[in-house]
Amino acid sequence: MENLLDGWGITLATFSPLVGVAIMMVIPGGREHQHKMVALVTSLWVAFIGVLLLIGFDMGHTAQLQFAVDKPWIDVISSRYLVGIDGMSLPLILLTMLIVPLCIIYSWDHFPEPVNPKAFLILILILETGMIGTFVAQDLVLFFVFFEVVLLPMFFMIAVWGGEDRRYASLKFFLYTLFGSALMLVSFLALFFLTGADTFSFTGLSDAVAAGGVSHTAQLWIFGGMFLGFAIKVPMFPFHTWLPDAHTQAPTVGSVILAAVLLKLGTYGFVRIAIPILPEAAVVWAPWIGLLAVIGIIYGALGCLAQTDMKRLIAFSSVAHMGFVMLGIATLTDFGINAAIMGMVAHGLITGMLFFVAGSVKDRFHTLEISRLGGLLVQAPRMGWVFGFCIMASLGLPGLAGFWGEFPAILSAYQPANGVPVEVFRAYMVIAALGTVLAAGYLLWLLQRVAFGNPTEEFAEDPNITDTTKHEWIAWAPLLALIVAIGVYPNLVFRVTDGAVDASLNECLRVDERVLTGAEVAALGCSDVYGLGGGSDAPVEHAAGN
Amino acid sequence: MGLDLLTLAFERPAIDWHAFAPELVLLAAGCLITLVDIVFLEKARPYTAALAGIGLLATAVPLLTLAVDGTERVMFDGAYVVDEFSLVMKALFLLAGYVVVLLSTNYVAEGDYWENEYYGLLLASLMGMVMMASARDLVSIFVALELLSIPAYLLVAWRKRDLHSTEAGLKYYLMGVFASAVMLYGMSLLYGVAGSTMLADIGTSLAGMETSPAVVTMGIVFVVAGFAFKVSAAPFHTWAPDVYEGAPTPVTAFLSVASKASGFVALLVFVFVGFYARSEVWEPLFWILAALSMTVGNLVALRQTNVVRLMAYSGIAQTGFMIAPLAVAGHGVVNGDQALSAVITYLVIYAAMNLGAFTVVIALARRSGSAELTSFNGAFQFAPGLTVAMSVFLFSLAGIPPLGGWFAKFEVFRVLATAGEPWGYALAIVGAVNSVVALYYYASLARRMWADDPVDGDLGPVPVTPSIMSALMLCGIVTLAFGVAPQLVARFTDVSLLAFGG
Amino acid sequence: MNNLLIAALSADAGLPLGITEGGSWLLRNVWLIPLLPALSFVLILTFGKRMPHGGSELGIAAVGIAFVLALLTGIAWVDHRDNSHDQEVHVAVVQFDDHGVGHGDGSEEGHGGGHPSLAVHRTAVWFQAGGMEFTVGTLVDGLAVMMLVVVTLVSLLVHVYSTEYVHGDRRYTHYFAFLSLFSASMLLLVVSENTLQLLCAWELVGVCSFVLIGHWWEEKPNSDAALKAFLTNRVGDMGLLVGVTVLFFAAGSALPGRFGSFSIAETNALASSGMLSHTALLVASCGLMAAVMSKSGQFFLHTWLPDAMAGPTPVSALIHAATMVVAGVFMIARMYGVFFEGFQIGGSSINLMAFIGGLTTIVGACLAFVQRDIKKVLAYSTISQLGYMVMALGVGAWTAAVFHLFTHAFFKACLFLGSGSVAHAVHSFDMKSDMGGLRKHMPHTYRTFMIGTIALAGLPPLAGFWSKDEILVGTGGWGLLGGTGGNGAYTLMLGMGMLTAALTAAYMTRCVYLTFFGEFRGHGEPHESGPRITVPLWILAGLAIVAGFLNLPTGFQLAPGSLQERFGHYVEPVAGYFPAITHATPSWSLAIASTLVVMGGIAASGYYYFVKVEAASKAAGTSLTELPDGPTTRYPVAAMGYKLLDNKYYLDHLYNGVIANGTKGPLARLVYRFNQQVIDRTVDVVGETAVKVGTVVYDRIDQLVVDGAVNASGRASSGMGEELRRVNSGKVQSYAAILFAAAMVLAGLLIVIV
Repeated sequence: MENLLDGWGITLATFSPLVGVAIMMVIPGGREHQHKMVALVTSLWVAFIGVLLLIGFDMGHTAQLQFAVDKPWIDVISSRYLVGIDGMSLPLILLTMLIVPLCIIYSWDHFPEPVNPKAFLILILILETGMIGTFVAQDLVLFFVFFEVVLLPMFFMIAVWGGEDRRYASLKFFLYTLFGSALMLVSFLALFFLTGADTFSFTGLSDAVAAGGVSHTAQLWIFGGMFLGFAIKVPMFPFHTWLPDAHTQAPTVGSVILAAVLLKLGTYGFVRIAIPILPEAAVVWAPWIGLLAVIGIIYGALGCLAQTDMKRLIAFSSVAHMGFVMLGIATLTDFGINAAIMGMVAHGLITGMLFFVAGSVKDRFHTLEISRLGGLLVQAPRMGWVFGFCIMASLGLPGLAGFWGEFPAILSAYQPANGVPVEVFRAYMVIAALGTVLAAGYLLWLLQRVAFGNPTEEFAEDPNITDTTKHEWIAWAPLLALIVAIGVYPNLVFRVTDGAVDASLNECLRVDERVLTGAEVAALGCSDVYGLGGGSDAPVEHAAGN
Repeated sequence: MGLDLLTLAFERPAIDWHAFAPELVLLAAGCLITLVDIVFLEKARPYTAALAGIGLLATAVPLLTLAVDGTERVMFDGAYVVDEFSLVMKALFLLAGYVVVLLSTNYVAEGDYWENEYYGLLLASLMGMVMMASARDLVSIFVALELLSIPAYLLVAWRKRDLHSTEAGLKYYLMGVFASAVMLYGMSLLYGVAGSTMLADIGTSLAGMETSPAVVTMGIVFVVAGFAFKVSAAPFHTWAPDVYEGAPTPVTAFLSVASKASGFVALLVFVFVGFYARSEVWEPLFWILAALSMTVGNLVALRQTNVVRLMAYSGIAQTGFMIAPLAVAGHGVVNGDQALSAVITYLVIYAAMNLGAFTVVIALARRSGSAELTSFNGAFQFAPGLTVAMSVFLFSLAGIPPLGGWFAKFEVFRVLATAGEPWGYALAIVGAVNSVVALYYYASLARRMWADDPVDGDLGPVPVTPSIMSALMLCGIVTLAFGVAPQLVARFTDVSLLAFGG
Repeated sequence: MNNLLIAALSADAGLPLGITEGGSWLLRNVWLIPLLPALSFVLILTFGKRMPHGGSELGIAAVGIAFVLALLTGIAWVDHRDNSHDQEVHVAVVQFDDHGVGHGDGSEEGHGGGHPSLAVHRTAVWFQAGGMEFTVGTLVDGLAVMMLVVVTLVSLLVHVYSTEYVHGDRRYTHYFAFLSLFSASMLLLVVSENTLQLLCAWELVGVCSFVLIGHWWEEKPNSDAALKAFLTNRVGDMGLLVGVTVLFFAAGSALPGRFGSFSIAETNALASSGMLSHTALLVASCGLMAAVMSKSGQFFLHTWLPDAMAGPTPVSALIHAATMVVAGVFMIARMYGVFFEGFQIGGSSINLMAFIGGLTTIVGACLAFVQRDIKKVLAYSTISQLGYMVMALGVGAWTAAVFHLFTHAFFKACLFLGSGSVAHAVHSFDMKSDMGGLRKHMPHTYRTFMIGTIALAGLPPLAGFWSKDEILVGTGGWGLLGGTGGNGAYTLMLGMGMLTAALTAAYMTRCVYLTFFGEFRGHGEPHESGPRITVPLWILAGLAIVAGFLNLPTGFQLAPGSLQERFGHYVEPVAGYFPAITHATPSWSLAIASTLVVMGGIAASGYYYFVKVEAASKAAGTSLTELPDGPTTRYPVAAMGYKLLDNKYYLDHLYNGVIANGTKGPLARLVYRFNQQVIDRTVDVVGETAVKVGTVVYDRIDQLVVDGAVNASGRASSGMGEELRRVNSGKVQSYAAILFAAAMVLAGLLIVIV
């Protein structure tokens, strides 16, 4: 069993959805129920494998790659089928495996127009392959391929099942992301060539860079290329404008997957690729990333306050939340990046839930105009409470998952890694803290306008406004439970990520200068961007998370 | 003296029949078709297509034997060579030709055009291409070129009752002649410099000189220009849209794939065997051609309303991508070989996906009768299968993983990046931006097919003939397979001309 | 690297924290107390609706048991305090030469005054991040135990009271569920071992208050009030976030091998031993102070508290009078080491905390005068009393502040519940239009309310008197006939305290008159509430009477020495994590003086209402609430003052009108417009330009010869012939031209550059 898992676990998990797709291809489109069953069974099977992987995962060594497979793939470009799971990817993989079946269950009896479950479910399954693949890939080319695989299904999902403005939104989403990834690819290749390493594996490249193959300027440019690719995906201000349109137009399930997993591909790229491979460039870029992050926090919040459409508001809130994640990443500290990964998971669960609720509201009211809604708690009390719960989670209430993405990020900003300007990040910290106030503002305001008060006479007597249905409960319960569980016991995630994050960070970023002598610091031979050595400044100023 | 002449005249060059086998089989097939036509007249019509197909497949047999044999065969003092490169390209031509035959069967039959002649000419043109792959000498190259061009001129004008077709034929013919003229001029210049028609000799003599005199430059530019016309690279692309639009769609497919490939074969041979030493001339030349073709092709494609014209311009842009590696191929053997295999890889994958796209166009056109973009609206509702297939090919052309196209583009980018010089990076950036622009029209066509509603509300299913189905299958599987396991194609295309040529 | 490690992690070296891992079972398992209500919250949510009493019985049971446990814990603590010989925990520290400000031996000062009272400390790993383990746990000392008892007791009484008060409410079950959740969070808050845990509990009580204020969310004002409360608190919590963060890293800078520490004990100990940079402490203190101002309704973040009265009255009693709002005071008391150093309470004669507190007492008291709504009177009185406590802490009178917190919980809860009982009878909170003369109708409520009032006003011997008096003493500003000392001469604070004492007495007199005296001005026949309301009232009233005796001042000759300073002895820590504060000596003279001041307040207000207004009422034949020709009508100054108070210093206009709406409206719209018009537009423009360029290239360059479309149509219309030839030839010619030209140009170009 173990051996089977070691050798095949990841591959199975990644490609099983395609098997499901193949099966559905041959089933004629008419037999809806069969399609649903196949899709559901497939996704559950994948989730089951995920559970096995989780059980088999050695929590003692989260830092090292587990279930790793390394097979030749494209020899000419010395790219290999190199996949594996470590503490950084495990939570996101499990998140993906959880979200997909829930989405299938949710859309069980109300598929968006035009219905066509066959195509819809096939797309979802292809998406799953792409997403899981991106998180397990340990080879730049492989990563790039999976990273792009995700685009197509989402494009079609928006373009075919989307809202009125879907043609514009889908194309915008597609072009915008592809633009980023095209430049990202160029920088990957430049990295590959400049390091002279004949491998695309993450570790190989980072070693080669550490060995000093690449000039400082080149590193900065390459990081810039990656930054563009990932930042668009995140999305960071000012590359975020595709997000509100995509979210607003996408069908509910599309929005959920988009928010829950797709946005994480970008941030994951930062913590998995950009920072470990190019630490020096990261140090130089960090202040700017941090700046964009905090701008995003405030900007997204203000944008939310201006929204009149519930779904669009939630979409904008993603910009703010991902701002916190990016702030945590920008600190380049172990602590901050842990916070960031926690933030990804939390945002995935919470915003996913919010989009679910928004979708259900839309099903009942056929509108998301906030001004026309109201009194949800009166007409659909349970859904109202769920909504309120998610709002609370989203504004970072302690005891719920959101808090652990938000507060640690703020905390870590007070003390960024070696070489990152401390004063600047302390300013960021205060701004981010202000962001939490605004977050509470727009979220509670939304809650008040949608859930509180009495129903508008437009819908007061509407018979098809019912409370939460069975399918909705089944789809939501796991998410709600996880939000609480992680909120109460954040170690569920932190324990997994901590070791891996720690290992992924360059020594020079991590060393605690207080406990080292100048000689020891010199022995590390860190380049001067880390501002180490001498240690003349007040020691506190350079004490990164050790 | 005279005696010597006599003796010389009687000396018969050694002919390696095995090496010639493919050409001969092809020739035989062509003759057979003509004979059958003469003998059985109308009764033979239904079988000619099959005959042509079988002929092509039969031609593949000696190819395989040659490939298995693997030895490099040089004839006529190196004027005619059978090596890995030529074998791969020949195989490509034959397969492309086979698919074109598949596409043509119903089209020509239903169009009520002359069939036997059609296939005869098709085979003749293929014959020329197959020869082109082996030609290493100005004369044989030129002969091969004309052999593959002249039947093509006729095929373009095949829909003789249609004005567009006639016009296109005329246009293509005239332009082709002009291009040949330019090229011949260039060739003569080179011959003047090197004193030999043998590319290898030209190569050595060019390598001899440390700078390029104007005459050499002009020679190189004109030759390249001539073939740039054949591969429809901007600014020598003007003919392509009109001709593509006018010609019978299968012929368009043929031109856009096979004939383009043949042009590239010639270019590659010239560059790597003949001009390699003078990279300071042709590198910038190809840089300009590549950048221009990508940009012009994509930008113009943005506002096309006819699918065939759209494909024409997208083809121009793709040509730009294929030329791009040549812009940095002059940096030593390794780089050159990488560039070479990048181009070939691109050609192979491009053949698969472009033929596939044309197949879908033909299939859908059989119903609507027009190739206007609007006639593709909502195809997903009445022809889901074709729509999915079309999306696959379109996004493969756009270079989205895991469809074949991504690897082709990836190889191009890799060569550009690994050259490690600013020009290379610059072209890579141009390419990156262009691939986004390209995505715009590919994606909007796909979206048109998926999301929009059919203009004429009828949702009657689209009949897909077996031949078309098999063509789709072939292209589709190849496109996907090359995308998922690029090693498949890479193994074949990893060939070298420099090893012995440069 | 100019730092040296004090001999690392050996138990006997390093800084004594004044905590022990030992202690009796009860003290080491206080986590049970918050757990009980937490469980009942879950149970009520799940089964509440199906239970005979809608889940209230679950809540009462849980809180009841919690109360018993809390009492036992109290007893256990008394025993522990008096005879515990546990091993004290030390922590290894790094001393920086450049940070060793002044007294590096501050930890020793911490032990001044009797043998140490080691707090019982117990932790478990919560999560690990950044290679460091973060703990969750309990820190039990006198303060925590006292809070446990108060919270559980008041909560229990409020639960019982509510069963009648909100009987048959739309969301009876949810109401009790959230009462339970609140109790759990509050109890978690008071036993918190580290600031992170404190922060979490802090936010949780906030959200409970949000839910309970907005309990009747169908009416917009209620949900508005709820939002206001939550958001105002969030503003303060910004400070909390910053403060906690700063302390975390400041502590980390002094602890080898760790980059930070949330532990309250460690932070306090390091602060009081002077190992942390004063800047850091000052920043942290200011940040935390902001949180206190919002949570404990200090001026100018107090405006949410009166609005919070939109919630059910028992909630106001429990959350917005007795427990949650004192969380801020509790936090100062908890983090006193930090504040003491940060604001240098020991040294100066004025500081931010003391000043804010003093200001708040007066501001609140003044506002209490002009309210019609009885609950608003009590709300402002609460603000004023909280100010009292903060001021006390600001002047270093730690015990007095905590003691006042203790007594205030009882009499203020008593008053609120009383007002609730009144409202229950007259279905209104408006004293002027719907009350008056209720002493005849509701004797129990009347008596208990009177007791509460006297206690609040601070007349001996009721509870309020003792705690208030100690605060006044603690200011150390009273030099007359002894009673000096303290941490400095905070004379200003003494004045503020005195003034407030008078004002309090006065506005409570007004309140009592308007509610219980004169004639009934409302409608219907008011009747006394049932036992489930009156019994809690009497219990609280009783406590309001006796609670004061727990901390008779030293040298109070009427009582045996063994009964003096009991509260202080058991509650005030004498340990490493507590700063070295010096106590002021009480004085008879000050006690008498303050009593006189209170009398004066009562007399003035009493004369106005019980004599003048009463007489005017008789004359008018109706029950008046003020003189027709009152001072406000006579003196313009008074009128202006009244207007100012009536508009609550225009603070709400500033907050809602300017800040909130400004952000929601113009600012947000501006940003969004920027988003759509600038950022998003650029993206679109890029795309559109590409298409435009394409068009241009196509029309102007690519097809410059002829427009294919036109010709196509032309050909279609007028068959072939001349036109066709012309067209085609023309087109081909130009194509050829391009071909040749291009070839030539390229050749020329390359010849030039090569």
